Amino acid sequence: MGNRRGHGRGDEDPVRDYADSEMEIPRLFALLLIVLEWTRPGLPSPLRPICDLRVLDHFIKEARDAEATMRVCKEDCSIGVPLMVPLTRVDIGVWEKKNMAEQAQEVQTGLWLLNRAFISLHTSISNSALHSHIDASVRNIASIGQVLRSLSIQDYVPTVSGIDLQETWQVSSAPELFQVHINFLRGKVRLLLANAPVCKQEVS
Amino acid sequence: MTSDRGSVLMICALFLAAVACRGHTFDKKVAQLLREEPENIKCFAERMRDLTCFWEEGESRNSSLHQYTFTYTYQYRNENSSACEVFEMPMLAARGRRLFYSRLPRIEFFAQLHLCVFRGGRELYNRSLFIDQVFLLDPPANVTVVKTGQRGQLNVTWLPPALKYMDDSMMYEVRYAMEGNPMRKETVKATTKLTLRGLQSSSKYKVFVRVKPDGITYNGYWSAWSDPAFGTTPPSDLDPVIVVLVLVIILIFFLLILFVLVYHRKSLLKKLWPDIPSPEHKFPGLFSVYKGDFQEWLGHSNSSTRPIHAFTEELPSPLEVLSETSLAAPLPNHLSPPRPATTPRATGLLREDSDTTEQGEEPLQSRDMDAGLLDRWKEPPHTHWLMEQLRALQKHPQALSQSSLLESQDTYVTLNQNSQHAKEEGRQEDDILEESLPLQALFASGDTSLSAASHSDLGSLQQSSGSGRLSSQSSFEYPNHTWPPKGPGYTYMAVADSGVSMDYSPMSSSMGKGVVYANEYILGHRRPLSGQQVHS
Repeated sequence: MGNRRGHGRGDEDPVRDYADSEMEIPRLFALLLIVLEWTRPGLPSPLRPICDLRVLDHFIKEARDAEATMRVCKEDCSIGVPLMVPLTRVDIGVWEKKNMAEQAQEVQTGLWLLNRAFISLHTSISNSALHSHIDASVRNIASIGQVLRSLSIQDYVPTVSGIDLQETWQVSSAPELFQVHINFLRGKVRLLLANAPVCKQEVS
Repeated sequence: MTSDRGSVLMICALFLAAVACRGHTFDKKVAQLLREEPENIKCFAERMRDLTCFWEEGESRNSSLHQYTFTYTYQYRNENSSACEVFEMPMLAARGRRLFYSRLPRIEFFAQLHLCVFRGGRELYNRSLFIDQVFLLDPPANVTVVKTGQRGQLNVTWLPPALKYMDDSMMYEVRYAMEGNPMRKETVKATTKLTLRGLQSSSKYKVFVRVKPDGITYNGYWSAWSDPAFGTTPPSDLDPVIVVLVLVIILIFFLLILFVLVYHRKSLLKKLWPDIPSPEHKFPGLFSVYKGDFQEWLGHSNSSTRPIHAFTEELPSPLEVLSETSLAAPLPNHLSPPRPATTPRATGLLREDSDTTEQGEEPLQSRDMDAGLLDRWKEPPHTHWLMEQLRALQKHPQALSQSSLLESQDTYVTLNQNSQHAKEEGRQEDDILEESLPLQALFASGDTSLSAASHSDLGSLQQSSGSGRLSSQSSFEYPNHTWPPKGPGYTYMAVADSGVSMDYSPMSSSMGKGVVYANEYILGHRRPLSGQQVHS
């Protein structure tokens, strides 16, 4: 403090230069752009594509554990109303003939149906241990939806009338539901993710 | 319904032709499943296109092929099951069992399938399965083993099964071994190459690979082992690091040894190449100042540094002799003649025997003789005098003996300093001298010295011409002379140690009970010696 030299400016902060005052507006402008970019409404920025199928394998393993738990429960796990579930069977020849959009639609319809079935099961069954499995399955279905979105697959929400009933069937017990869940993940979902064009582009 | 059934049958028939071409691989798979699969209906899918199911019949009953019906249905379909044609395989005919199989043409994955075998309308077996869980693939092809750049390693690569959608769901097992060694296994997932590590160098390895779905999405049985592939590991070359380290260690050892040698070179040299001992350090200044002139050095050195310590013991030590009687001259007179006749007293300065025998009336004389080498001598003015005295003693032993007769109890002996005697004694003296010259070792210098000594103070010791004879012991023979007793002065005798041990003990004037032992020695052949004890 004793070294302070007297300037012409006096009490002004010596750090601030005359150029700073000119840069203030561009600074604020840049900050504004950044904030707007984050909060931009509409489609979110494209996620990084999740091409690693180990994510799906993880879901399959969880579903298997749940199904193993469900297998032992007989009386508590029966449902009054049959649940509509997607068909899990895959005919390779037939599947290959479909295009990407059809496959995606089929998968997303099935996921939607499963989601609905799990929610119904949740209300029907009072066993708290089973509830945890049901919740886990619902979470996994949502995660698969995210994965599909990351692969640039458009969201598709089927309407009740638009569902091809030939591609559905009905189950009347919780173990069956979980079985369908497993098979659906192993089959159609996996085939779709494995052949996603985004992932193939990255590989090649 | 019927059209479906018809188409199914047709497709089944089409596969019949294909089956015939299938051949060896198919038989092997069937045989493998016969061992492994516990279910009655054994099914496997080779590719993603078909499913083969078979069962065996053990009954020897000659049942026709057409009795069997194989039906399948998917769970999700709520319709009647479909049937498929049944075929027979002849492979187990030798064991008395029959094998029937059927193949599903169009299969659907991820859906539960129900299978039934009917024989004659009755259900024989049934099974529910997922087709994607019963894969039995062909073994991997093109297994190759190549060397990597490093020693003890080999790279194994192979081709995956050519199945779409399943290439990332495969699990492989690699089995490898050297000739005659047990097999080692390694499992890899989702990759078609493996690096074998920890192998021996310059060895030939045999490698097998088999494949199986990983079990998450698809599942199945382990395939058969592939055909063996051989690879040889590279020879182990000398690791340069090891070579460098070994060299460094050798260098360190070498430096250590060098350091030890340099540091201890003096002590080592002393041990290996010892110096010739030189007495220079005992003679300070002898070589440096006086250039080896011993006499000069002796003259100039002070007594304290006189190194002739060896002679200190031999220097004549003054011996105080107490004599109470005077030396009587006539005593020896009558003693001397018989002397030669007696046995020589070739004792170590003791001559009791003859004395006692001769002079019984004078027993005391023997005691005097026992005094040994106590003679009365003049104090030697010079060290050389010592030699002369001794030489004189040698020549005139009888003189000494005579002196013994002079004394009474005293232990001193006086030497006759007169010149001697009788030639008649010369002979005996000669003999005596020859035999018993104890100190002749000292006087081997020659006769002349002895002759000179004869005229010395020592007295009349006749010189022996044959003084070459050495005796092992020293003795003094007192000459048979009498010599005038000296005054009551002290006489001294210096005795040089000629290497012969002489025992002489001073006897007190009180003449106690001293025991004197005389040395015995052999005097040659003429006169036997006798050693004696003399009791005083």
